[in-house]
Amino acid sequence: MAKPLIQIDDEVREMTDEKFNAYKALQTANAEAQAEADAKITARLSALAKLAALGLTEAEIAAL
Amino acid sequence: MAVGFLSPTTAGGLTLIKTQTIGTTVSSVTVTGAFSTTYDAYKIILSGGVGSASHNLALQLGATVTGYYAGYITSSYAAGTITGDKDNNAASFTLVGYGTANVLNLNLDLQNPFTAKNTTFQTFNSLTATGAGSRLGTGYLANTTSYTDFTLTPSTGTLTGGTIRVYGYKN
Repeated sequence: MAKPLIQIDDEVREMTDEKFNAYKALQTANAEAQAEADAKITARLSALAKLAALGLTEAEIAAL
Repeated sequence: MAVGFLSPTTAGGLTLIKTQTIGTTVSSVTVTGAFSTTYDAYKIILSGGVGSASHNLALQLGATVTGYYAGYITSSYAAGTITGDKDNNAASFTLVGYGTANVLNLNLDLQNPFTAKNTTFQTFNSLTATGAGSRLGTGYLANTTSYTDFTLTPSTGTLTGGTIRVYGYKN
């Protein structure tokens, strides 16, 4: 299987095995960070919706 | 009493050091020979090009993969809601730019990458998606290593096209 390409100045070539392993680890970390960020946004939106359902206005929610 | 006049500054404050066109479907781009003793501070601009998917752009200096500290604030377009993100002893500055299948963008200032001091940065970038927002970030690299090169890496997918320009601020 061809490895991803990297570019150094004008040279484009396949990653070395070492670079490829580091790249996969970074991709995994990025995916985890993105999932964490998405979960944070989802939780916030859920909380805001619950506050609105309790009758708080947007101004009151913003003042919290 | 003698009256003195200040001489006008004839040289511009920013000098283009290097231009690098991004190739096709590359997973990272390293720009070498960008930093030197000539300048203490730099501006890096990325424009044009596309990503294979929506992504954040990470910046790594030289081969250093530890000690990156940064804070980022994003204000959502839809509601102005503020969210925070961080690099806490990370392997790179992870949120310095953004890209989609439409365009890439990065606008970053860097101080002391070559000088034997902590390297600091400030970035602001536009997350080009209706559900996203605008993002500001600052931080530093906790070492005093001297760097000449940097690497941009998308958080997912690949980059095609686009131009990286490195400018030096006149000392």
